[in-house]
Amino acid sequence: MKTSRFVSFLKNGISLVLVAGLLLGLSLISSCAAPSAPTTPASPTTTTPLTPSPTPTAKHPSIIRHTDTFPANIDPAIGTDGVAGRSQINMYDTLVFPTKTGDYQPWVATKWTVSDDGLVWTFDIRPGIKFHNGDELTAEDVVYSMNRLIAIGEGWGYIFRPLIKETKALEKYKVQFTLNHGFGPFLDSLVRLYIVNSKLVQANTKPDGKYGENGDYGVEWMQTHDAGSGPYMLKEIKREEHVLMVKFPDFWNGWDPNAPEACEEITIMDPSTLKAEMARRNLEISDYAQTWETYQALSKIQGIKVVSFLEGGMWMIMLNTKKPPTDDVHFRRALAYCIDYDTVINTIFPGSLLAEGPVASNTPGHSANLPKFNLDLEKAREELAQSPYADQLDKYPVELAWVSEVPDEEKVALLIQANAQKLGIKVEVKKIPWLTVVESAVSPETTPNATVVLASPAYGDAGVFLEMRYHSRATGVWSQLEWLQDSEIDSLIDDALITVDRDERYQKYAKIQEKLVDLCPSIWLCQQVMLNAYQAAYVDWYTANGQACPLMHYNHYYHDFKVYPDKVPAP
Amino acid sequence: MKLGPFILRRIFLSLFVLFGLSILIFLLARVVPGDPARMALGPRAPQEVVDQYREEMHLNESIPVQYYYWIKGIIAGDFGKSLMSRRAVIDDIKEYFPATMELVIFAGVLMAVFAIALGSLAARYKDTLVDGLIRLGAYFGIAIPSFVLAVIFVLIFGYFWPVLPVFGRLSYNVVAPPTITGLLTLDSILTGNWAAFWDAIKHLILPVTALAIAGIAQEARITRASMVENLHKDFLAAERGYGIPERKVIFKYLLKPSLIPTVSVMGLDLAGMIGNAFLVELIFGWPGISRYGIMVMLRKDLNAISAVVILFGAVFVLMNILVDIIVAYLDPRIRMGNVRGT
Repeated sequence: MKTSRFVSFLKNGISLVLVAGLLLGLSLISSCAAPSAPTTPASPTTTTPLTPSPTPTAKHPSIIRHTDTFPANIDPAIGTDGVAGRSQINMYDTLVFPTKTGDYQPWVATKWTVSDDGLVWTFDIRPGIKFHNGDELTAEDVVYSMNRLIAIGEGWGYIFRPLIKETKALEKYKVQFTLNHGFGPFLDSLVRLYIVNSKLVQANTKPDGKYGENGDYGVEWMQTHDAGSGPYMLKEIKREEHVLMVKFPDFWNGWDPNAPEACEEITIMDPSTLKAEMARRNLEISDYAQTWETYQALSKIQGIKVVSFLEGGMWMIMLNTKKPPTDDVHFRRALAYCIDYDTVINTIFPGSLLAEGPVASNTPGHSANLPKFNLDLEKAREELAQSPYADQLDKYPVELAWVSEVPDEEKVALLIQANAQKLGIKVEVKKIPWLTVVESAVSPETTPNATVVLASPAYGDAGVFLEMRYHSRATGVWSQLEWLQDSEIDSLIDDALITVDRDERYQKYAKIQEKLVDLCPSIWLCQQVMLNAYQAAYVDWYTANGQACPLMHYNHYYHDFKVYPDKVPAP
Repeated sequence: MKLGPFILRRIFLSLFVLFGLSILIFLLARVVPGDPARMALGPRAPQEVVDQYREEMHLNESIPVQYYYWIKGIIAGDFGKSLMSRRAVIDDIKEYFPATMELVIFAGVLMAVFAIALGSLAARYKDTLVDGLIRLGAYFGIAIPSFVLAVIFVLIFGYFWPVLPVFGRLSYNVVAPPTITGLLTLDSILTGNWAAFWDAIKHLILPVTALAIAGIAQEARITRASMVENLHKDFLAAERGYGIPERKVIFKYLLKPSLIPTVSVMGLDLAGMIGNAFLVELIFGWPGISRYGIMVMLRKDLNAISAVVILFGAVFVLMNILVDIIVAYLDPRIRMGNVRGT
């Protein structure tokens, strides 16, 4: 009886809807499973194919797609991190360009001279460099770019704002910088001066901005446009979603025939989606923030390899030297001897390298052969015995903060807590959001005794990193939670930074590093190793071939990549 | 006849709700730790630049004065500038809201079709195997969160059996239609770009299904319960007595009044989906307003947070009014004037 009613019900409309839905779903799935036909553009004016395939039969585009951290502040006077940095190096040119050895080669500048006092730097500009709109790059553009960066004061502006006294164009192809004080690594710093097309930006400047006669300095327009001369030009940007750049055919430095036709920074935040997109060859390079397990899984997919390289980042515990009990050097050393560094590099941050002092080993100016701390509770006890807090440990607990956005940091905190407890040191582990870390840095009183932090140099020079990390004028921001304020260290850093001769400067850096190890204001845990999964089967990436650049972002200079669409593994 | 004044009254009262919400969210956004100017400009920006920015964004003013500037802007249709994107928040909303709307509209259609069909089926074959299976499926549907389904879908249809796209709104090689409404499917139809339409539909399948399943399960159960409750009412016996065919009795005289609770819950589910879809949007790389809302909260982008919450509130209010209209259509008592009784 029931069955017959059910059968009759199948004839009614609801069943039809269900069946139709099922059929539609099946047809969609079957059509999706079939190879997709090339898409016909909607209209001739908007349909330039982004990545023409090398052969009519090749389905895979000549492109590098890389997951990155968003939002995309691509204006070179605003953004510095993640997608911003990688977009800028691909869309803009700089006066000098970093080499794989941490040195610098002529780029937009063909040669340069420096005055004897190290205050005046003069650069000859390479003639004939075209911006993406066809304008020629001249000294005026360099002047405009520097003035704009300093006036806006954001992004990399902090490097140049206190440093540059004047920038002027001596001739069409000659530009001169006058510094407020000597600065040895000035040449190194110029990798962060991205040259913008002054005429184009001025033409798109809103007159009612806050920069006087420069209006808004084109800030609003530059959020969604590029004004560069680099190898790739902006095709499309959605600030929370992706940045698509296409090849600039007239790039002054020429092209390899297998260089990617396009590159795209996209955001994939879920590991399962990342894995699926890499397996389907919809993504060429992963980001570096995946878990070890995800990289392991990715490396098992045919044609995908995981590459590791250093970009100068260091994991460390910053110790507040102005707050008891970490204001005592013996106490700080005792803590440094409480850490199982092998566990840190093998279990907590697998693949990372042991820290070799205050500066990463690939940062130019790093000093090798510095004394190192290791897990040694006996030495820890010896140091603690010399501390004025040895007999009153109960009164002076150590507040150890870790950043809630980085769960692995908790493991470091717990590691030190467990060993410190054996010495009678009470460590109070505290989870705090990154925002709170930034805010706590405003005074020694609000800064915790110890904070687990990752810090990287802005560019490849140990002295600049040391200044950021330990000079008194760099206190008050998250990158120096130590509040070292040591006049001797300050003068050593100042003296080193004004030294133009590189070898001499590096010797001075070495002395500072030795002194810092002795003072132990930080516990240097390990060097951050960047892990990226990439499509080794059809992408030739210089970084994976042992040519990693020690400078942040510069391992994604897509002009130097090669893509072979015909080598894409069959599904 | 009295539906018009009823709706006008609801709209009028909704304005007070939105006003209260605006005060609440404005205050809440400002008690969250973190200096928004420092967040926007980065930790290395010189203090004078940060100070200038604070002044520009009125962050140095007292909370009431800040609120005055903000609400004055909103009344003029200006939600202020995003601290992070440096452009008008309304531009961000225009970019991200249609993507989520497209998800929600398709999810709504899916929910309506399948929830009502399955609920009716279960009610019609109450206590049979069909009913049992549907109820069992509904339990699973309600119990499994949409983001878990999303991850499962990605693994199945993106990795093990890669037949459907699992990321974004369009494939790389497909040219997007010019933006008219922001709904890719609709814009594709309007411009005759069928390749984009088909591709957009394929990209919608998994996120829409992941979002809709819980709603389908929930509403199917409600529909079933409501229909079962009405199944033996006198008015149905009378219809049957007049010799009206069973199918007509079920779908014309039983289903219609039984849909009132379903529609009410579905309306709230759909409105809530706009704000709650962020994990599904995150997993499928869907550039929607829900994901945007979470991102601006993490970055303490004050104007954007307030605008997004007000937008979500407005959608809730509008959806409630829409539900009222539909319920009034379904329930003759409302149309006959028993407005207050509802």
